[in-house]
Amino acid sequence: MQIIRSLWQGKLELSKDMAEVIYQCPTCNACAEACAYEMDNALMYEALRAELIDAGCGLEAHIPMNKAMVELLNPYERDNKQKNEWISKLDFEIKDAYSEKADVLFFVGCTAALTPEIQTVAINTAKILKKLNVDFAVHGEKEVCCGSVALRTGNWEAFNSVALKNYELFKKSGVKTIITSCAGCYRTLKVNYADFLEDLNIKVLHTVEFIRNFIEQNDIEMKQFGINVTYHDPCHTGRNAGDTPLYEEPRELLRKIANLVEMKTIKENSKCCGAGGGVKKGFPDLALEIAKSRIREAEATGAEYIVSICPFCYRNLSDAIKALNSDIKMADLTGLINKALG
Amino acid sequence: MSTVKEAYKEIENIIGSEYISDKDFMKAAYSRNVDPAFPDRWADMIVRPETTEQVSEIVKIANKFKIPMVPRGGGADLVGGSVTKGGILIDLTRMNKIIEINEDDFYCEVECGITWGNLVSELHQKGLTTGVLGPGSGFSATIGGGLSNSTAGFGSTKYGVVPDICLGVEVVLPNPQGTIIRTGAAANKYANPFCRYGVSPDFTGLFMGDVGTMGIKTKAFLKLFPKTPYKAQRYYMLNKNDYNKVVDLLYKLRREVRDGLHDVLVVPLALLQILSMMVENKPAKRPRLKGPVFSILVEAMDQGILDLHLKKVSEIMENDTRSFEYQEMDLDAPLSKDWKFNLKYAYNYFNKYISIVPPKISCTTCHKIPISEIPKAAQLSNEFDIQNKGEFPSQSISLFATVIFLMPNGHCVIVGGFNADNIDEQREISMKMWHKKLRNQVRYGGVHYWLGEAISQSIVEADAYTPEFVQFFKDMKKAVDPNFLLSPNKFHMYSYNDDITKYIIKNEE
Repeated sequence: MQIIRSLWQGKLELSKDMAEVIYQCPTCNACAEACAYEMDNALMYEALRAELIDAGCGLEAHIPMNKAMVELLNPYERDNKQKNEWISKLDFEIKDAYSEKADVLFFVGCTAALTPEIQTVAINTAKILKKLNVDFAVHGEKEVCCGSVALRTGNWEAFNSVALKNYELFKKSGVKTIITSCAGCYRTLKVNYADFLEDLNIKVLHTVEFIRNFIEQNDIEMKQFGINVTYHDPCHTGRNAGDTPLYEEPRELLRKIANLVEMKTIKENSKCCGAGGGVKKGFPDLALEIAKSRIREAEATGAEYIVSICPFCYRNLSDAIKALNSDIKMADLTGLINKALG
Repeated sequence: MSTVKEAYKEIENIIGSEYISDKDFMKAAYSRNVDPAFPDRWADMIVRPETTEQVSEIVKIANKFKIPMVPRGGGADLVGGSVTKGGILIDLTRMNKIIEINEDDFYCEVECGITWGNLVSELHQKGLTTGVLGPGSGFSATIGGGLSNSTAGFGSTKYGVVPDICLGVEVVLPNPQGTIIRTGAAANKYANPFCRYGVSPDFTGLFMGDVGTMGIKTKAFLKLFPKTPYKAQRYYMLNKNDYNKVVDLLYKLRREVRDGLHDVLVVPLALLQILSMMVENKPAKRPRLKGPVFSILVEAMDQGILDLHLKKVSEIMENDTRSFEYQEMDLDAPLSKDWKFNLKYAYNYFNKYISIVPPKISCTTCHKIPISEIPKAAQLSNEFDIQNKGEFPSQSISLFATVIFLMPNGHCVIVGGFNADNIDEQREISMKMWHKKLRNQVRYGGVHYWLGEAISQSIVEADAYTPEFVQFFKDMKKAVDPNFLLSPNKFHMYSYNDDITKYIIKNEE
């Protein structure tokens, strides 16, 4: 905050050295939670990062990622056609939101669509929706990145570019409900797209929120596995999710299918996985160290699984499990729910 | 090469290039604490040692090049404690390890850069507590800062100020040798650090409330207590706005409930009125605010004993107060029956009383007085504010107390002060008025605790110290800091040759 203040007062110049420090924050907003005053520190960091980028001082490691987002529509520098890959692994057809109408748009997100070991999140979500007889569609290779990582790293130009494309896609689809299994997409659509989604009268839900409501309304039974699990709150669905953080919804579902054993820091006080805010890309060692700390906390519960609802947390925490040679297993909640629905 | 550059190189060799910086944006980041009344002050370099030995080496280098140094914990103070214009700012937050929690003999050994929040959350898992949980800023404030500022906080009614739980410290003296000593039982090299007194004179006390002027605390040995499982909160509103009645009730609570009291706070009527205006979710009916509100937290090891404490509190309060709930003025406030302890409560409940309208310059004047002197101090404080009305910054709100906090035996902390707009034009006026108000409090017998720069200087300006005491203070400091390098400016000390009596402000009484 003092850096921002000194910049504002003209006592400091933006610099690459400064960027090296400012980009080490995963913008998890735990500091804002601990502070007695209501300040959105993550938002201020994003604004400062935007200033750094405007001054040509952005982090080199983020440049290809944000460039790819604009040009290829995903930050992984991959052909967007690969977003169809997970769909080909399904044994049922799903609607193409570009050409077919559906009640619900499943916004898959780039991480789940393009990371082979995390494609299960997309696959399990689709299977759950199918089992619940939900009329849904996906955009497949036409799905455009939500722009989360551009926004978090201060590249507003890249964010605006993809946000406008998404606006057109959502408008064309005529959909009124968007669900996503990605915490980062959830926050971005729910909080950062709020104004224009309100224009289009579109409601955004995380998949767990949707499933929780659906199961409750339709009195659907799920299998209780009796295993001990602990739950990791993604910052995107917690502290950074605006007025409606998803703390209870995943826990309610987990209690139906497993024994939930809580970690020392949970909900608004939850430790971050360390991947967000461009840290995984910019400072992978730092991201891994933060994730290791979270895994140690999970291990202390004696749980068999650490469960989350964010593909990016999944990826970083999995890396930490591997690095620590830990016995704990990583799971996305959609995987457990899919199994529990039989 | 300048001496600062040479010192930088030598320190870099000790702690590594990752933990030293002279970059402008790093200096800016460390240029203030939570104290916007002060201008930004940039150190020459920021260093972040990890061990006591590294601190000792830094001290030796500072002495070699005669460069001033200031230790810093969480940077959470409001009175200009841990910043320096030029010199070496020693950030101790890498020294954040818990070395031992002795669950059987009820003490712990920690590095001074650990935050209160981190230590207390570890202790709570083991059914232990430090009693007083450090300052309201405990999520970021460190143990070392709490000791250097003689801090009060959650638990202080029962457990006192932070130095009251200190059994000794490891300190690097600011002398050319960077001498490392341990105090308390730990001064006996054969003993564990389980008690404070008996090995030697109480040299621990030399480093308590010293605002970082006497040594750099690197480790602390603290008392532990079994965590008390039963706690309950009750609120009572006095039937009239009468500080004499506040005194009577505080006496009765202290005499009759004794150790059952965990925290007793009195929120004055004026503050309640301000807070009720600031509420977002107001009730349809305006609250009936007639007098100060007592917030009484009792604790016991047994539900039956807790009930007895609550009954006794109720008997004491019944004739002069009514039960009160903050929901009467704020629909979002929890009911007292639903109150539950958590660290967020311990570390955030106090802050709203410190700067009631952020973001403002907050000129806090927290000081201690005997319970009996509350009415007189309130009157003198109000008279001071009226007499000096024209000298306060415009739009400023000055309050004798935003909360009165009962301490052990028969005294209390008066948390109060005034605020001003956080703009450069008001900073000098605020600082001048702040010192004047502090001098007034010193002269009516108020005893401050976090002294930082503003308060320590105001005590000198008020002519509180006798010449003999000043000489003693200088002699003691000279014994540990012969080159006068550690935390200059505090107490208006700028060198050993300087005559601090020239800073006394006369003809103000």
